[in-house]
Amino acid sequence: MSQRIISYADLSIINSALRSIQSDMSGVNSELGTLNFKQDQLETELEKLAFSFADFVEADLKHKSLQLAETRQGNLKQDLQIRFGYYAEVRRMATGILQGVDSGVVGDDTLKFTTEEVMIKAPGYWLAPALVAIAAWIRNDRSTNEKALNEALKRDDYKTTLFFMLIMRRLGRNEAALKWLERYFMHQNPHHLDREFIIILEAVTTGVFPPSARQLMITNVKNWLDQLTQGDTFLNEQKMQWIRFFGAMGPLSNGKFPLLEKYSSNWNLLEQSLRAARTHHILDLHFKSIIAASADFSKSTKVQLDEILSLLVTNFDDEELPLQEQVRFNQLVIQMDGDKKAAQAIIDTERHIFNEQVDFLQLLTNASFNPELSGVTKVTQALAISISQPWLVEAYNIFTAQSRNNIPQTIELDIDNFKATTHNGSDENELIQKQETFYQHVLETELAKLAFPYAAVIIAVLICLGGIWAFTLSPVAGILGLGMGVVFIWNAVNTHKKAKKAIADNIEERKQKAKEVLRGCIAEAVDYRKEHTTEDNKAELVLQLLTSITPEDFSSVSKDTVRNII
Amino acid sequence: MGRNILQNKNLDLGIEERSAVSTGFISDRDILKKRSKKYLDLIAQLDHKTLTETKGMGELMKVIQEEFGTAELACLPLGIVAKCFLGHPYEVHILDLSCSQIIKHYKTNELMEPDFEKARTVAKHNAYALVEVYKDKLILIREDGTATKL
Repeated sequence: MSQRIISYADLSIINSALRSIQSDMSGVNSELGTLNFKQDQLETELEKLAFSFADFVEADLKHKSLQLAETRQGNLKQDLQIRFGYYAEVRRMATGILQGVDSGVVGDDTLKFTTEEVMIKAPGYWLAPALVAIAAWIRNDRSTNEKALNEALKRDDYKTTLFFMLIMRRLGRNEAALKWLERYFMHQNPHHLDREFIIILEAVTTGVFPPSARQLMITNVKNWLDQLTQGDTFLNEQKMQWIRFFGAMGPLSNGKFPLLEKYSSNWNLLEQSLRAARTHHILDLHFKSIIAASADFSKSTKVQLDEILSLLVTNFDDEELPLQEQVRFNQLVIQMDGDKKAAQAIIDTERHIFNEQVDFLQLLTNASFNPELSGVTKVTQALAISISQPWLVEAYNIFTAQSRNNIPQTIELDIDNFKATTHNGSDENELIQKQETFYQHVLETELAKLAFPYAAVIIAVLICLGGIWAFTLSPVAGILGLGMGVVFIWNAVNTHKKAKKAIADNIEERKQKAKEVLRGCIAEAVDYRKEHTTEDNKAELVLQLLTSITPEDFSSVSKDTVRNII
Repeated sequence: MGRNILQNKNLDLGIEERSAVSTGFISDRDILKKRSKKYLDLIAQLDHKTLTETKGMGELMKVIQEEFGTAELACLPLGIVAKCFLGHPYEVHILDLSCSQIIKHYKTNELMEPDFEKARTVAKHNAYALVEVYKDKLILIREDGTATKL
């Protein structure tokens, strides 16, 4: 009943209303599309803005830190000037006095007056009383000299000692220089040596200091070595470094064994081992070149000593350092256009270089590995090597033993899936025999895979039989059928034979090629072992060389000095 | 006479010598000492002297004990591996010091016990007279008696 009512009802109004809603909806949809598009556009614009804003902020920060750094640098410099301004003056004066003393053109009174004035103006600075002491010494005023010296030593014992040691050496006052040197040695801790120590050591060995200084150094160095080599820790550390050094000296591969490289499955091990063996020759040359350098470097040592002196006199004092560091930092910030991070990175590496303190053994090792980087000459390198000789020999022995222990006993070959091992290639005939058998086997399996065409032959036989049966109907059809059958059989068998021959030919070709490769590999294996043995034997030469290192070899000036150190 | 204004302590001009920092025990020094000629000769004779007799074996053990005299039991080697000069097919031989105290010659492809096997490559090398096998290390001895730890 109700269905009927609906079917009769007039739905056209509703329909048209729905239609208008639909059109409205599509209107809304298209509007939405435009809106979406606009919003996307807006978003990209906004992103661009955000980026440029971030850039702006960063640039602004940099700019501000640049300005700040400039202001700060000015302030800090002013601060330095106020607090330590006189230090700079003292330093300038020190250089002047030293030069004046050298040339003897400055009057005693002037020296006395200026140094004493400095003493008052720069309280707490060690260089001031040191200068007073020098001035007093020049005019033979013993009591003032002693008082001033005491004061200088009290302010900075180490620097004063180094200062007077170097000055006394320059003036050629041997006894005084020796006394100061003794004091200098007492200051040194073999666990934390300063950078300049190696230069002093070189100076003493090459005879820049008076001869009796050698005895002093010998005693001290001996004590240190005893101290440091008591346990294994320090020595083992040095030995490890030496072993790593030896390992790193290995030459690059020279591609002398192309076939083994391609066909040996343990080529990596073989190559590594050969590389280790070839290292011996390089080390031989390396150590020989160091020992052969026996030029007189005492002149350059003197220059270096003077450099230490001038650095001592011109460098900033510990007290000033924090301020000086800040000045340096701000300077770097300005240099880096306000990039604080970059400036910090630079200052960190700088600090690392200057704070470097090492133990005596490490100092020797550094000087032996890389004299240029440690700032020493080849003479010092040789000296360091000769002092390190006992554990250097041990390290070399370990390196040799390690490389010998890692010599691969077999050379594993993998040629066209034929796997074989040989020790030194002496079993060539056996290997070739084995390869022969291998290919025989391959041939058999390949042929076994090739099935005889039974199906084709059976069908052909059936056709033949059909032909025979057809004889009863008509002899022509019979002959035709029989003929076709025979042709089919012959064809199938022939194809099979051809396939067999193709396989045999193919394998024969593979075999010939593989045989050549095998022969080549064996020849290379023989050469490899030969070269390896020759190179490995050079280790004994290097060992002889290292054991025979005596310090006479490295210094033309001091023939018998460091021999006694060891 | 000058007066002390700022300082009232006497200045001590001596520098105390910094105390030595000792790292403690010595371990490698003993084990790397030079081996005696007697010991080396004896091991070298393993090939051509028959040691099956009790006397020979006893003498051998005596010399070895002298060589490692002061060392504790744990520091003694498990055994000694050396190149064998009996000729082909023998390659290396061992002197087992742990319990069996036997001498055994090994052929080229014959495997030794794992502890000894790791010393084979270096034992075969001409530069070393013998290799002492320890639980955690190998000590290689050259002809002149000098020792290297591996």
